[in-house]
Amino acid sequence: MKYSRFLTQVSRNRQPSLIREMTNLLAQASPELVFMAGGLPNAQMFPFQAGSITLKDGRALTIHPKLMMDCLQYGPTPGYPPLVKQLKDLTQQLHSPPRWAEMDLIVTAGSQDGLCKALEMMISPGDYVVTQEPCYTGTLSILKPYKPRYLPISGDQNGMCPEALKAALSKWKPEEVQDTEKDVPKVLYVNPNACNPTGVSLPEDRRQEIYKIASEYNLIILEDDPYYFVQFGDRKDFPPSFLSMDVDCRVIRFDSFSKILSSGLRIGYVTGPKPLVERIVLHAQVSLLHAPAMSQVLVSELLKLWGDEGFFKHTDAVQAFYLDQRNAMLEAAEKHLSDLCEWAVPTGGMFLWLKVPKIHDTWDMILERALTKNVILVPGKAFMCDSSKPCQYMRAAFSIVSPENMDKGCKNLAELIS
Amino acid sequence: MPNPEKFPFREMTVTLEGGKKLTLSKETLSAGLQYGPSHGYLPFRNQLKRMVEQWHAPPRWAESDLIVTVGNQDGISKALDMLLDPEDFIVVPDPCYSDFLCMLSSLAPQIVAVSVDDQGMRPDILQSALEKAISSGSTGIPKALYLVPNSCNPTGTNMGEERRQEIYAIAQQYDLIILEDDPYCFLQFNDKYLPSFLSMDVDGRVLRFDSFSKVVSSGLRIGFVTGPPPLLQGITLHMQASCICPPMLSQVLIHELLTSWGDEGFKKHISDICQFYKEQRDAMIQALKTHLTGICEWIVPEGGIFVWLKVLHLSDTSAMLLERGAKGDIVLVPGREFMVDSTKPSPYMRAAYSCVTPEEMMKGMENLAKLIQKEIELQSTHT
Repeated sequence: MKYSRFLTQVSRNRQPSLIREMTNLLAQASPELVFMAGGLPNAQMFPFQAGSITLKDGRALTIHPKLMMDCLQYGPTPGYPPLVKQLKDLTQQLHSPPRWAEMDLIVTAGSQDGLCKALEMMISPGDYVVTQEPCYTGTLSILKPYKPRYLPISGDQNGMCPEALKAALSKWKPEEVQDTEKDVPKVLYVNPNACNPTGVSLPEDRRQEIYKIASEYNLIILEDDPYYFVQFGDRKDFPPSFLSMDVDCRVIRFDSFSKILSSGLRIGYVTGPKPLVERIVLHAQVSLLHAPAMSQVLVSELLKLWGDEGFFKHTDAVQAFYLDQRNAMLEAAEKHLSDLCEWAVPTGGMFLWLKVPKIHDTWDMILERALTKNVILVPGKAFMCDSSKPCQYMRAAFSIVSPENMDKGCKNLAELIS
Repeated sequence: MPNPEKFPFREMTVTLEGGKKLTLSKETLSAGLQYGPSHGYLPFRNQLKRMVEQWHAPPRWAESDLIVTVGNQDGISKALDMLLDPEDFIVVPDPCYSDFLCMLSSLAPQIVAVSVDDQGMRPDILQSALEKAISSGSTGIPKALYLVPNSCNPTGTNMGEERRQEIYAIAQQYDLIILEDDPYCFLQFNDKYLPSFLSMDVDGRVLRFDSFSKVVSSGLRIGFVTGPPPLLQGITLHMQASCICPPMLSQVLIHELLTSWGDEGFKKHISDICQFYKEQRDAMIQALKTHLTGICEWIVPEGGIFVWLKVLHLSDTSAMLLERGAKGDIVLVPGREFMVDSTKPSPYMRAAYSCVTPEEMMKGMENLAKLIQKEIELQSTHT
């Protein structure tokens, strides 16, 4: 695939930072080399010497002085090498990307920073963006400054509809736009599992259809998958990722630890074609430099301590927790809202997407009146590409609320709607 | 928000230099592991505001704000994204911090390069360069002026107080935003007080970028920006869309550390690191005098971690350092990397003395002298 077609002029202009590149020389250098090129501060002057983290299962992660230096000093932009290796192994294990040798994986300061840099790499003001609708608000806020021409693709209880995608793209003939750079859609954004905000997942056959359409129109697929590990059901039944079916090398996949390990550490990772991942690295080189080092070291040490078995045992436990929460939420909703709302059963994650057929627009009801009834929801309009249109939906999160409070909340919500 | 009960970390303790242990309380660790506000962990932000008010007494403090960023360079990067439309002008010193030039090369604004002397940007050249930009007929306008006033990267020079006031006055005349990049403010070896641009900012045109990277940790990725709220808002909105918030655990740790130290402890730490880097500088100057007298020229830096060397008998150092340096067991950064026009030859080189021992410095400068000699011979056989 020719990737330059997808890049903005700003992205094409990016050059490596020579100083960062020179630091790579150290890796191959003779021990006699006196290296005075980097602008590194002396890590011996950093005041933290060592550390220890106790896990909830009672075991401890020890940060001995040498490891503490790794936590505190500048590191390579693509990520702390042991963590990068672990994540590459995990990705290969879970997805077996068909073009793995042509791909790269980097650690980012949260998966959203990876997504932001990927979009900034490809979107110029006014460009087309093909996206699921409703769409995650974070993605919409990344795109807002570019005033994109959205091609919003509607979905149902199985996610994005391939027919709707085909219809949206039908004004172009694939063979006419495949190599065109301007004024054609080049990017498709999708949340395949436990979509935020709808809570539903794309089954395998739809993914293959969507991939095929993206391939015909030569679109880059941005697979934003932070709820991958919080899908309900057996891991072996998880539908295959877009990455795992990426025979063209057109998928950039965004993974996150925010729902399973920690959101505050700011650790996510991006997998994609080398030429595109390289552009993200160049952007990171002149902005944040790299994901926080201590956070990376902690995640790496934790994964090392757990091994695969421990890691999946943990993700299974997290999944089981959110499943219980979902079931409690559905119970409360059925009890209080079955006459007033419609919803699809979430197949993972932490959100329930409620439709209120009798109301024209949920915006005012929630933002002006909901607080008085102790119910916090997000009005559906926030997830729409065109925020001027009314929206009958709202998103409820069931991650943190207790079942008792869910019951109370749904009762209050019913009163509010009435 | 994900449920933090499912995060596997329960307790955290760090040991500080000197052996003191800091244990994070349950609430604090919890804050460190969950999403936080985009402009920074509130107790930390408040702590930093108190410090900034104390050190700089900004004349418009009541109308200023402060946000935490993922390292100060991310703040600068987002400030440029916010300020520069295509065709706009940005003023930079020449030579300039290379990563900043790298940022500019992607945005491709029009650059107003201002030559420097031993105090940094020259006001007379600044004035005439701005006049030229204004009368060029471009649709863009000069928007911002970037400088590193203390221990400038790469020249190591400090801008004197009078010079700062002159630059500020010119920025007022042309209505420029001043991007004050000051990561070395705590690494000054003498007690001479140099007022920051923030401290003289009567107009509210300064965005000041501070860093913990040289003082507490570079890898934790924590810096902060002080300035007018409407400008900070632009950066914060971009942060919200990208990293969502600065790394929480990093912020929590630094906050706990600063709280544990108090003002006295912080001052002592700064004094200790200055002492260390001063000794490093002295060893470096000794090594330079021993091996490079007559071969190179240099100004003795009053702070920071860099020495800017000029090779007397070479017109350019790039090939020498990049192609032959590693074999000669000495690597410095070629001066060309810091010049706005990197096509022109540069006889300069930047040496960092932060992480090498005095013995390594001696060996390194000996190697450098040999490398330069060889290069001079190489050049003369080619002419």
